[in-house]
Amino acid sequence: MNLKLLDKVFVLSRYAMYGMFLQCVCYTLVFSEVREDQNKGKETSGEPAVIEASYKIMQDITITGKITDENAQGLPGVSILVKGTTSGTISNIDGSYSLDVSEGAVLVVTYVGYQTKEIIVGNVSVIDVAMALDVKALQEVVITALGIEKDKKTLGYATSNVSSDEFTTNRTPKFMNALQGKVAGVNITQLGSGPQGSTKIRIRGNASLGKNNQPLIVVNGIPIDNSNFGVNNGGSDDAIGATGPNNNMDTGDGLSSINPDDIESMSVLKGGPAAALYGYRARNGVIMITTKNRTKGSGVRVEYNLNYTNGSVIDRRDYQYEYGQGENGQRPTTPFPTSGVWSFGEKIEPGMTQVLFDNLTVPYEAQENQLKEFYDNASNVTNTIAVSTGGENGGMNLSISDMTSKGVLPGNEYNRKTANFGFTQKTKKLTVSGNITYSYENIKNPPNIGEQDFSAVVMYTLANTMPLDVLRDNAFDEFGNEQAWSRFRNRTNPYFALSRFNNVVRDRIIGVVTAKYDFTDWLSLQGRIGQDYWSRDQDFNVPNGTQSKGAAPAGFVNGNYVTDIRRFRELNADFLLAFNKTFGNIGVYATFGGNHMYQRLDVNTEQGSNFYQRDLYTIGNASQVTPNYILQERMVNSLYGSAEISYKGFLYLNGTIRNDWFSTLSPDQRSILYPSVTGSWVWSQTFESMPDWMTFGKLRLGWSKVGSDDDISPYNQSLFYRVEPQNLNGYPIGQIDGGTIPNKSLRPLNTVETEIGLETMFFDNLVFEFSIYKRTAENQILTREVSNASGYSNTRVNVAESSNKGLEFAIGISPFRSTNFEWRIDANATFNKSEVISLGTDVEGESITVGNSFFHGELRQVVGRPMAQLYGWGYLRDPDGNIIHDANSGRPLRSAEQIEFGTAIPTSWGGITNSFTYKGIMLSVLIDFKLGHKIISGTHVNAYRHGFDKATLPGRDQGYVIGEGVKNIGTDENPEYVPNDVQTPVQTYYETIRGFRGSEQSVFDAGSWQLRQITLGYDFTRLIPDNKYIKGVKLSLVANNVAILATDIPHIHPDQNGIMSDLQSGLEATGIPVTRDIGFNLNLQF
Amino acid sequence: MLIPFTACEDKLDEINQDVSRARSVDPIFQLNRAIVNQGPAGANIVYDWAIIRQVHTPFRGVLEGANSNQVNQGSTVRNWNTFYPNVLKNLIDGIYNLQEDGTRTNALSIMRIMKAYVFMVCTDTYGDIPYSEAGLGFIDQNLFPAYDTQASIYSDIISELQSAISALNASGDNIGQEALFGGDIDKWIRFGNSLLLRAAMRLSKVDSPTAQAIVSGINQSNLMQSNLDNAFVAHQTPYNNGGNANFNNQESSNFYLDSVFVTHLQTNNDPRLEKIAIRYVGATSGNGQIPDVASTDPAIQVGLPQGPDQNGVEDILVENGVVSLYDFSQVNRNTVGAQEAPGYLVTYAQTMLLLSEARFRGWAAGDAAEAYEEGIRAHMRQFAQYPGSTAVEEADIDAYIAAHSLSSGTELDQINTEYWIASFLAGYDGWANFRRSGFPALPANPSQGALTGTSENFIRRLVYPDAEFSINFENLNAAVSRQGADLLSTRIWWDAN
Repeated sequence: MNLKLLDKVFVLSRYAMYGMFLQCVCYTLVFSEVREDQNKGKETSGEPAVIEASYKIMQDITITGKITDENAQGLPGVSILVKGTTSGTISNIDGSYSLDVSEGAVLVVTYVGYQTKEIIVGNVSVIDVAMALDVKALQEVVITALGIEKDKKTLGYATSNVSSDEFTTNRTPKFMNALQGKVAGVNITQLGSGPQGSTKIRIRGNASLGKNNQPLIVVNGIPIDNSNFGVNNGGSDDAIGATGPNNNMDTGDGLSSINPDDIESMSVLKGGPAAALYGYRARNGVIMITTKNRTKGSGVRVEYNLNYTNGSVIDRRDYQYEYGQGENGQRPTTPFPTSGVWSFGEKIEPGMTQVLFDNLTVPYEAQENQLKEFYDNASNVTNTIAVSTGGENGGMNLSISDMTSKGVLPGNEYNRKTANFGFTQKTKKLTVSGNITYSYENIKNPPNIGEQDFSAVVMYTLANTMPLDVLRDNAFDEFGNEQAWSRFRNRTNPYFALSRFNNVVRDRIIGVVTAKYDFTDWLSLQGRIGQDYWSRDQDFNVPNGTQSKGAAPAGFVNGNYVTDIRRFRELNADFLLAFNKTFGNIGVYATFGGNHMYQRLDVNTEQGSNFYQRDLYTIGNASQVTPNYILQERMVNSLYGSAEISYKGFLYLNGTIRNDWFSTLSPDQRSILYPSVTGSWVWSQTFESMPDWMTFGKLRLGWSKVGSDDDISPYNQSLFYRVEPQNLNGYPIGQIDGGTIPNKSLRPLNTVETEIGLETMFFDNLVFEFSIYKRTAENQILTREVSNASGYSNTRVNVAESSNKGLEFAIGISPFRSTNFEWRIDANATFNKSEVISLGTDVEGESITVGNSFFHGELRQVVGRPMAQLYGWGYLRDPDGNIIHDANSGRPLRSAEQIEFGTAIPTSWGGITNSFTYKGIMLSVLIDFKLGHKIISGTHVNAYRHGFDKATLPGRDQGYVIGEGVKNIGTDENPEYVPNDVQTPVQTYYETIRGFRGSEQSVFDAGSWQLRQITLGYDFTRLIPDNKYIKGVKLSLVANNVAILATDIPHIHPDQNGIMSDLQSGLEATGIPVTRDIGFNLNLQF
Repeated sequence: MLIPFTACEDKLDEINQDVSRARSVDPIFQLNRAIVNQGPAGANIVYDWAIIRQVHTPFRGVLEGANSNQVNQGSTVRNWNTFYPNVLKNLIDGIYNLQEDGTRTNALSIMRIMKAYVFMVCTDTYGDIPYSEAGLGFIDQNLFPAYDTQASIYSDIISELQSAISALNASGDNIGQEALFGGDIDKWIRFGNSLLLRAAMRLSKVDSPTAQAIVSGINQSNLMQSNLDNAFVAHQTPYNNGGNANFNNQESSNFYLDSVFVTHLQTNNDPRLEKIAIRYVGATSGNGQIPDVASTDPAIQVGLPQGPDQNGVEDILVENGVVSLYDFSQVNRNTVGAQEAPGYLVTYAQTMLLLSEARFRGWAAGDAAEAYEEGIRAHMRQFAQYPGSTAVEEADIDAYIAAHSLSSGTELDQINTEYWIASFLAGYDGWANFRRSGFPALPANPSQGALTGTSENFIRRLVYPDAEFSINFENLNAAVSRQGADLLSTRIWWDAN
């Protein structure tokens, strides 16, 4: 008996969650087929995996017994399945079970993280089973590129498995945000863009200097579209981003349509070697998601999950409330819209009044609660119900879910419904599995951010004595137009702004079918076809009567109405021939495959303005309509192969090779061939005698090269023209389309990555892993700003080279462990150093500007410096560093050149989770950090020039400022600096930074330490009497964004920046406030 | 294996064809884009028109400019960032394609004339600018064009105009789709010659022999002959008058007529004031500027003095007898300031006044006074082209001309003062002609700002865009070292002291 019997048995394994953190409380379950050769080499696991009970032929009997863990404690929830059938049971709270079986039956006892045992039922009616932890074997199965399952020990590169508990228990509307600080090497940035927004994920730094370094998302082996509808993810005119006026909104990304409850497992392939088989799209790393397609155990299981959170706005404004609304030291006393957004008024004294709107006299008093008065609490409710079946030959999973998320902006709501059906079915030779996910997303009124009109910016620049009820009650005039409240008419009254609508509806179907045929036990062929299809309809208006919009011609009403309809399809068809055979001590695993990828996107947009009739937002009602149609297709064909040679199960050498042909490049540039080589050595299994404390040890090495046509959209080689839909008195108007100079000679870029890693476990308990990596991206296609005098704004060139060098580590240890109590610490950290090596020029200090702020400052890439340097104008200083003031006006002068402030990308990040378990109560606390980067805060720029920042208080009492520093009483050539003694009016002085676009005063260290999550959970299952219906109850209380432990950024939450694009990293423009969320997660199993 | 791969390659090629966009358009369409986009915008009000004391704003911040004589990059970059990437790019691309084509001489010539016009505005604004290498980002892959000297730019503009005008041929290719004159070759010839006159006269201070030589070579019968020859964009939604948009929309209560301009028109009993100015009497807010309180009565118009910003306006209000800033006179947004008002490039009135000066200088044959009077008359008649009832009565015209005959000794002052009025809202030329001629002798803005300590009382040029400093530094630096520091007070070549 015997190993042969095991040949085709599914083994459930526990994994120690290497490379990530918080893992000892959470486990992921993956099915794997154990290969015979691996079992042969696995004697060290020491498991008599099958217990032969002595038996004689008997009729049906009832077996009872108790399942215990390694500490001889009862183990509840263990699956006991009669092999070859669907009948089985689950152990109860104290680990005991009862099951009717036939004679000679084989029980398969499985539990996550423990070695699976098979027991042949003999002539005893009591079978107690002592389960053994499955740490030693490290039978951790990783879903690697193309969906190939591999034993983790064979891998020569870094991967991290992520338990679904990590993002389903303490969840955020954007579920990936919950992984912030939990996975070594992975930097997740939540954005201040509302619940429907995107998540910014960067693995091992920014892979390139381009705008989008988001990893590839693969669901069930098929890449899905992760298009991002984030604010300014354009950055250059090839991006099909948002269309229409005042549409700086983030309406999510590809991950948005995935229900986290459907995810069975997620692994993060970090480096190039890991992702080599995904080739061109994998240079930023890959997030592999496997959705559920059968139950974890046997029989039929029903699971219900309810998640609820409520979020309150975190108001970090530290404004001055001594001097109120007004300009030049005067409060508003006449019936005209004052600035409304300036607080350079009078000192607030009791009993004072101000005149607002059309002669409305209201008290002149501090209004410190504007944010809390205006914004609602956010809430998020997710209901998921799943039915699954499972058995030896397959099973299925069907789930439906509904998530309703309300943002803090009144009227902002995000609803997502998903249905997911997965199945797997096996016969002796053929395995067919499939998955289809339908999602429906309905976004209402996503917040506009980063611009003055209709946006959160206004909430942060409302005069500090502006009463919100007055703003609300006077938002509209008698005709329904916006009533002017500020002489700056592009500052939309926030209550008027609420009258606009914006609806986004997205339907999406992701489907994949895989068939795998095993010709023999060493040769198989797999074919797979998958499609990601979505359609997205958006319509929104700019309401009639908006002050910032010009008046319509006589007889018409102003405003805008836009409809935008998009359809996207990505088809992937691939095949994989796999050869797997052992020759003595040598194992060979080789594959050959090919992939055909086709994408098509079309966009139909119609913008209407100058309406015939009021309050009717239709294209037909618009007298002026601008239609636009975009069609983009791209195709990539690929062939690839891999070979893995193993020696005695402890030495592995793996190589891959791939060739891609891109449609986006001209024929002589479109083909690229690239390889990877990795090796790993499991030293703990190499020698006969290893010390007991050395549980596991592996050393790995990897090198890879990946080519990519990322950052090249289709049709880049040609200049295009456009004929405008509107003529001028019958005369046609046409022009060159776009401001980017086409370049025919673009070729694919290359990413070369080398990594060395160590994975160890000591004393069955202390996990330590680290990786050192170096990734260089060569021949990057850079959107380079050119002189406007060339007629164009930018061009694309294959010139740039940049690198990331880093070290990432994860450590897990239980400082204290007893029968009832365990304290576990899991920590990870990544240190990443990026460098711009070349921009076509290798001269140190040469730079290009890649992005500009909505307010002040710009982002550059500078040769010899870390990537993403923030630049901006500062103050002119004398040789001693004193600020030089204009000798006449006393206003500070602008620096001769823009100043480099530092990189906008963190140089280290990570997190520490402390978890405590006591008799089923689990408490975990996550602290995360990001350090070493800078921000130019647009919110601060506004707070400063508008007189909110406390730094603008000096001088108010006397009505003038004498700027600290010097003035030049000599000439420019022969300066003579004397202390500045010029009196400058207060507002004039502080406003000066707007005139010269000064950033220096608004640069801050962007680093933060945050108490990100607290989760308190209890598994009530053990309290439930042996009940036939309810098999499990778990309740967790959760809190997210609990507290900021350290930050230098004033007025806003460190995560409040809402801009997705890497071309605007660190150029903060006010986003929607971040919320502190508390709630619960309830999981019921039937 | 080979056959399927060839098929794959073909498929990849096929996929990479964009079937939804055009690979070419008629260059005339691009000319029309240039015509529509070349007009002034808000940024030109805060500099060009505020410098010569016609319209300005008491407000600072984004509207800062000549009102406090400060650099405001938001506005100084406007001509550069509008002309090069939108206007000149299309003109240069169209000219390149027409030259390749070789059969459409008229189309090519009118694009060259328009290009000369736009480059003149550009160099008059900044001085030395990229010219010979400009707009060639695609054609020559020239991403960082060098700056040409203004002297060489003017020299080329003049020869371009001469050569393009002489190539125009009424029996040549049809240009009926162009938006400026609807394909009328004769009008293009007159526009071209009138522009040539303007370009030549621009050199009067720096190189009068050249100016004289070119002016004397112009056949006067090929200049504009009446207001029917005016070069203007007939604005129509959505292609509105970009300058006037500021008098109507979000900035509508922010711009006011300058006291110098209003006072001058009042003092001279100018019938145009009634057509230009409107005052919302007693208005205390932008919302209070309603038709019920509007008055166009010239006698009660009050221009806003320059100097003070919204700081301490109380004194000014008292001095001027108004109740608030909103009570000062504005450009009438129903007439000359309407969004659909025509946008002028070159007018018959301006041409006659330049001709008058040329005659006075002896560079052209004919009576200076006759051209001077014709210039005034033309401008007053031009008002009939604005929306609203704006035609000036012929009797009023005659009376004004009778009272303002050209007097010996003050010819240049009188001619150029009338040019100043005739250029009101008409493109960019008012400021350039003021710098060139030195007339009228305007009082300086008391708020000298960045001009303080310099020898200049008025802004002589606008500064280069910040972006050029970071992107095209070497070329820009060469220009700065030739021309002088990149300041508002630095004089450009033709504006020699």
